[in-house]
Amino acid sequence: MAELIQTKRGSGRQSLAAISGATGGLGKAFAVECASRGWDLFLTDLNPEALETLAGGLRNTYGVNVLTHVCDLTDPASRAALFERARSDRLRFWALVNVAGVDYEGPFYEQTRQQIRTIIRLNVEGTLEMTHGLLEYRDPLVPFRIINVASLAAFYPMPVKATYAASKRFLLDFSLALREEVRELGATVTVLCPAGLPTTRECVQAIEAQGWMGQVTTQNIGTVANDTLNCALAGRAVCIPGLANRALQLLGSLAPVPLVVSLISSRWKSAREKRGRGRQEAVLEGAG
Amino acid sequence: MENSLSGKTYVVTGATSGIGLAAAEILARHGAGVIGIGRSEERCRGTEKRLRAINPDAAIEYLVADLAVQEQVRSLAGKIKELLAARDQGVLDGLANVAGTFTYWLALTPDGFETQWAVNHLAPFLLTHELLALLQAAPAARVVTVSSDSHYGGRMQWEDPQLRRHYNGLRAYENTKLANVLFTQELNRRLEPHSGVRAFAADPGLVKTEIGFKGTPAVVRWVWNLRRAGGISAEESARGVIFLLTEPSIHSSPEIYWKHGKPKPASRLALDREAAARLWSISEQMCGIRGED
Repeated sequence: MAELIQTKRGSGRQSLAAISGATGGLGKAFAVECASRGWDLFLTDLNPEALETLAGGLRNTYGVNVLTHVCDLTDPASRAALFERARSDRLRFWALVNVAGVDYEGPFYEQTRQQIRTIIRLNVEGTLEMTHGLLEYRDPLVPFRIINVASLAAFYPMPVKATYAASKRFLLDFSLALREEVRELGATVTVLCPAGLPTTRECVQAIEAQGWMGQVTTQNIGTVANDTLNCALAGRAVCIPGLANRALQLLGSLAPVPLVVSLISSRWKSAREKRGRGRQEAVLEGAG
Repeated sequence: MENSLSGKTYVVTGATSGIGLAAAEILARHGAGVIGIGRSEERCRGTEKRLRAINPDAAIEYLVADLAVQEQVRSLAGKIKELLAARDQGVLDGLANVAGTFTYWLALTPDGFETQWAVNHLAPFLLTHELLALLQAAPAARVVTVSSDSHYGGRMQWEDPQLRRHYNGLRAYENTKLANVLFTQELNRRLEPHSGVRAFAADPGLVKTEIGFKGTPAVVRWVWNLRRAGGISAEESARGVIFLLTEPSIHSSPEIYWKHGKPKPASRLALDREAAARLWSISEQMCGIRGED
């Protein structure tokens, strides 16, 4: 890492760490953690005011350069504009943290088709295109670090979160395969698989509704961001923050899939009962 | 009702519930001008109405601001200046930094700060900075910041003062309360010797407030419910704050930490001059203030 920063500074031009969904709970934690390590940033999100507010705080506190770019990652034209800016401004990247993602809680048949499209477009299409686009503008002088935010949900089919969990499974498999492909480019891919994160009031309520299981599986976002960056710098393939979560993942991998699925199903359903039915809130991980 | 504080004006943050509300009420009863700050428009309007009814002679005004957001703290200071200017009044007699929060899970503010650090420490720091000229224009003004005996457990961690990497809600709370005393100490050092402004930190005691109920897990709510049962009323605690805000006899007292109107030794760490100076400089940086020295 010391070498990396040295090369970055020594090369005489700015090399950036890009973060998508930067003003959401986890995205912000990544942005702050990166800035506190002295890294110059390229932040993207849907909300221009939130981006500027965050960028201002990071510049003041950590003295780093922060570029911002408003982008709707579900929109191909908006993504193209981002890459065009990278090209015309001659930006160079050495890291990409794909945080932007979304879920709409509820059974598949209760979701709208628009919601289902948005999950796929943001979680899958957006992440893949950002990765593809920024690989093109990677800094050739240093290892390119890619972090994809999947979820513990990536390891199992997940009733009530069917589309979301499958989209995260996509990212998990994609990341593991891409990791081998980009090795020769000097790039690494790390996939983060966290349990539920207490980022919004709704998320905290969901954790509460799971009782003690919620308590032991939940990690603070600052710890998650720090651990994940350390994993990425060490070139690790998968990062699962929290001992309880690693144990769960291990147990789950030993048990037959139909059994795990029915366990998850009953757990989510009882949690949903406690929170009251029929709620359709977007659980945003940062939309842009 | 004697209007013993008529002609004076005080800003009170967190003034729609708990200690802040009780302090605003006492000030209103004594005829002081009160500028109360709250986060909810609805609660602000309601409280404003109630306090005006308590004492029609007192000028009561509530302003809405979310102190977790620096931009809102700055624009709040601007509104306070406008309000005073509209009353043809260029001075402020006191600022009571009462607003405080507790968060169990790490949450970051829009500016990217840990929420307790932002609300409990940076907001008083920045608001005081922004209002200092008005306070200095008064013959004798006070900055009272509500700390807590939690500060005795506080330990600043300079490499990660907001405890982002190893967050624990209670430890983070303790550190912000320690920061309140360090801030008070350094503010006095910087103001002396010829300033009319004095800063004090108030130990509110254990008070029956809602602080442990706001967005916390069931176990925290349960513990807080038990703990606060032995607590004093918000009004009793607020009297200590009002004493520090208004009592003339303590103006040149060297004591900075007070509980219920009596000085009390703050923790050794809270009196560390080097730590106070260090905290001041990182706080300036975090608020985008250019230091004068």
